[in-house]
This record gives sequence, structure tokens and C-alpha cells, in this order.
Amino acid sequence: MTEALGSTATPESGRPEDDTDEFLDDKSKKKRGGKRGKKGPFARMGLFYRQIVAELRKVVWPPRKDLMSYTTVVIVFVAVMIGIVTLIDWGFSSLIKYVFG
Amino acid sequence: MLTGFARAFKTPDLRKKLLFTLGILVLFRLGATIPVPGVDYTNVNQCIKEAGGNGGLFGMINMFSGGALLQLTIFALGIMPYITASIILQLLTVVIPRLEALKKEGQSGTAKITQYTRYLTLALAVLQGTGLVATAQSGTLFRTCQVGNQIVPDTSIFRTAVMVITMTSGTVMIMWLGELITDRGIGNGMSILMFTSIAAGFPGSLWGIKQAGKILDGWGEFSLVILVGLAMVCLVVFVEQAQRRVPVQYAKRMIGRRSYGGTSTYIPLKVNQAGVIPVIFASSLLYIPALVVQFSGNTTAGWAQWISTNLTKGDHPMYLTLYFLLIVFFAFFYVAISFNPEEVADNMKKYGGFIPGIRAGRPTAEYLGYVLNRITWPGSLYLGLIALVPTVAIALFNGSQNFPFGGTSILIIVGVGLETVKQIESQLQQRNYEGFLR
Repeated sequence: MTEALGSTATPESGRPEDDTDEFLDDKSKKKRGGKRGKKGPFARMGLFYRQIVAELRKVVWPPRKDLMSYTTVVIVFVAVMIGIVTLIDWGFSSLIKYVFG
Repeated sequence: MLTGFARAFKTPDLRKKLLFTLGILVLFRLGATIPVPGVDYTNVNQCIKEAGGNGGLFGMINMFSGGALLQLTIFALGIMPYITASIILQLLTVVIPRLEALKKEGQSGTAKITQYTRYLTLALAVLQGTGLVATAQSGTLFRTCQVGNQIVPDTSIFRTAVMVITMTSGTVMIMWLGELITDRGIGNGMSILMFTSIAAGFPGSLWGIKQAGKILDGWGEFSLVILVGLAMVCLVVFVEQAQRRVPVQYAKRMIGRRSYGGTSTYIPLKVNQAGVIPVIFASSLLYIPALVVQFSGNTTAGWAQWISTNLTKGDHPMYLTLYFLLIVFFAFFYVAISFNPEEVADNMKKYGGFIPGIRAGRPTAEYLGYVLNRITWPGSLYLGLIALVPTVAIALFNGSQNFPFGGTSILIIVGVGLETVKQIESQLQQRNYEGFLR
């Protein structure tokens, strides 16, 4: 079967993906410095922080147009729902007041 | 864009689902207004008016039950027992090997776990119901109220049992309604019911802000709160939509004479992969100490005093810190149980997919774990901060403690709203309509 082929094939684009740089760096560093690495906890925390920032840079943030339309739709939806629930509540509470009050 | 809503109603089976959900919500709100037998309706109403919507020890839980708790209605306990039960079971799945085995079993195991969740809900509902009825009888539910100890005129055992049984069956009914919504309606039933309960409290609290305000007859505070609310909605939507896209390349393969695959896609990892679940979990877990105090009926003991000063007010530093930590914890926890890098890597390998630059199999799983871990940190911190910032701001401005636009309710409302809207959208698109998000 061709199952395992995927792992040996090179990416078609041929362009070296910068996507996995930090990950690979991290691994090679690990190898060099034994299991835990020679660095102290602060250096490791710093490295972790830099990795977080690096990952955050690769995040696709929604474009302004999408953001606006999503926000509007959500606000309209929430407003409509609040309106409906308020109406229902008002109806029921006056009914209950009539029955028990 | 907004005509999309109209179009959603024109599609026959989508309309059916929407109306079904709305019908259930009507039932849900009806149950939240009918008082439990044995309660003096006029006295309760007077006490609520005097308390001014400020539930004290019960503020948060009252908000989550849509105001039904203080009114002692048949749905007074709300969906809280169900949520608490499902958290406990999800936590136990990690701890108890038998439950873990059940979870891995697939559908039949999940059904079994759901069954356990229901039993636990029942038990919690009995506990909570008894506690609530006891506090109502002793008059501690409304401490400042004059007729506070006359809410339940008849304290005989039979009456008490009837009240507890009614509330418990109310909770079971809510659980069923929620599952009906999940099965035949739109969205996740549990979150939709939660959404509705919180939404029910919105207008009243907004009006309360206007009444309490001083700038321009209260309209100043009113519009400020609305503006802050809108900005927060925008921010929440922004982060919910943010994704880290891990590229995946599929190998071409020939099956017979046709070739398949060879496409490149991506795995979307949301910055906030866990959604609103951590917030719901954290806030319902923080309610448990208050519940213990309420149930023990002993409000003067040292530990009870400590809990009610430190853990029940939404603006106490202790409460805020614990809340923040719990949210961060649950964000990681929920991501860990809902996204399994090994499984994804395995599936990718099976279908001939790989991440460029990473070997298939274990390295891929490691890489996914690496990205997920680093992306969840900012995500969880964001969740915690959003949930806290308004509370802190309000504490500084001396507002009421369980503010409707608190981060918790905004997160839940917007998160559930976004999820539901997206689900409606995808259902619309299935029928070749263009949807309304463009």
C-alpha cells in the first residue's frame, strides 16, 4: 500500500516551510544538551515564551470584514434572543401573577 | 446579510429545527416562572423586590438559573446540577481506569458515561434542592427581608419532600429538554439553555444600572456599559475566529485508474480551542463551596464564615485568583480531552497526509502537541483575563458584584451565540444558499 509514502515524499511546493523551524530547533537543542538541556529554568521559560510568540505570529487572525460581519450577526442574534426571552418571561410572569397573585 | 435570518426561516427543515428550539425555550421559561407548591408567592415576590436582584450568596447561581432560583420555581436549580455532574464525570474519566476504558470503547461506552452523568445529576439535584428548601424554610434565603421566614408557611416533612421532589424532577426535565435541543434542534442543548438563562437576566440588570446611575439620569452609565459590552463582543469574536493553521499535504494515490488526494489543506487549531467550556466549568465549580455552606446550614462556623467572605463575592481577590487559575486549568484540560494529537497524526498517516517538514507518525503527533500547547497558553490567559477584567473594573467603580456584563456572561453569551449562528449558517449552506456570514 501507499500508506507510508506520505512520510518520504517531499512537499510539492519545494519551498522550505519556515513553519516548523522552532520545533526542529528545539529538538536539535534537546539532543545537544542531553535530556533536559543545560539551561536553567529561566532560560527555558524564555525559550518557551519565544516559542509562544512565534506560534502566535503564525496565527491567522480574522480580517476586518469577517470580524465586522460576525460581530453584527452575533449581536443581532443575541439581541433577538434576549428580546424573545424577555417577551416570554413578561407573558408568563403576568400570567402567574394573575393566577397566584 | 441579515436577510439570511429570513432565509433560514424559509428553509423547511431548518425552520422546523429553529421553531422546535424556540418551543423548548418557551417551556423552559414557563418552568422557570411557575412556583414550587408550598411557597407563598406574594411573600417571595416582596422579598425579591426588597433584595433588589442582589442574591448575595446565591448571586452567581441565581444568574445561571435565569432568576428562577430566588423565585423558588420548579426549575429553580436550572442546568447547574447537570453541568456540575458532567464536569465531575469528565474529571473522573482521567482518574478512574474503568471510565477511561469506557470512553475508549466508542459509542456504547459514551452512552454508558452519559447514563452515569444523568444519575449523578439526579443525586446533585436532590442535594441542592434539599439545601435550597432548607434555607428557604429557615429564612436565610432572604436575610434582610421581613417576611423572609414566611416564604414556606408549612414546614412539615411531607411538604418539604414534595418541594424537593418537584425541584429534582424539574432539573431532570431540564436535562431532557437540553438533550432534545441537541438531538433535534439547533446547537448544543446545555449551552443554549445556559444562554437563555443568562439572557433572561440581562434586561433587568441593565435597567438596574440605569436606575442606580447618576450621570445624565443614569443614561451615562447605561450607554457606557452598552459600549463596553459591544467592544467585548468584538474582542471575543476576534479571538474565537483566530486559528493557527497547520499545513497538511496529502500524497497522491492511485486507486484503480483514478488518482486521489495530492491536495494540501490545513488543520485549524483555534487559539481558544476550548471555547466557553472552561468558563462554565470554572464558575460552576467555584459555586460548590457556597453550596456546601448552604447545605450544612451552619453559617457561623469558622470555615463557613471564611468561605462566605472569600469565595462567594465576585469581587474578592481570593475568588478572582481562584477563578482565573481554574479557567486556565480547564482550558488545558478541555483541550487535552477534546483534541488528541496522536489520533489526528494516526488518521493523517492512514490517509497519506503529512505536515511538510515533519515525519508522519509520532513526530507529527509531537509537533501537533507542541503547537497546541504553545497556542493554548495565550488562549487560556485570554479567557481568564476576559472573565476577570470587567469584574475588576466594576469593583473599582463600585458597581454591583454580579454584573450582567461580567466577563463570564459575555463570554458565554457570545460564545454560544457564535456557535449557534455558525451552525445555522452551515445548515443553510448545505442547501446551496449562500448563508449570511459574508
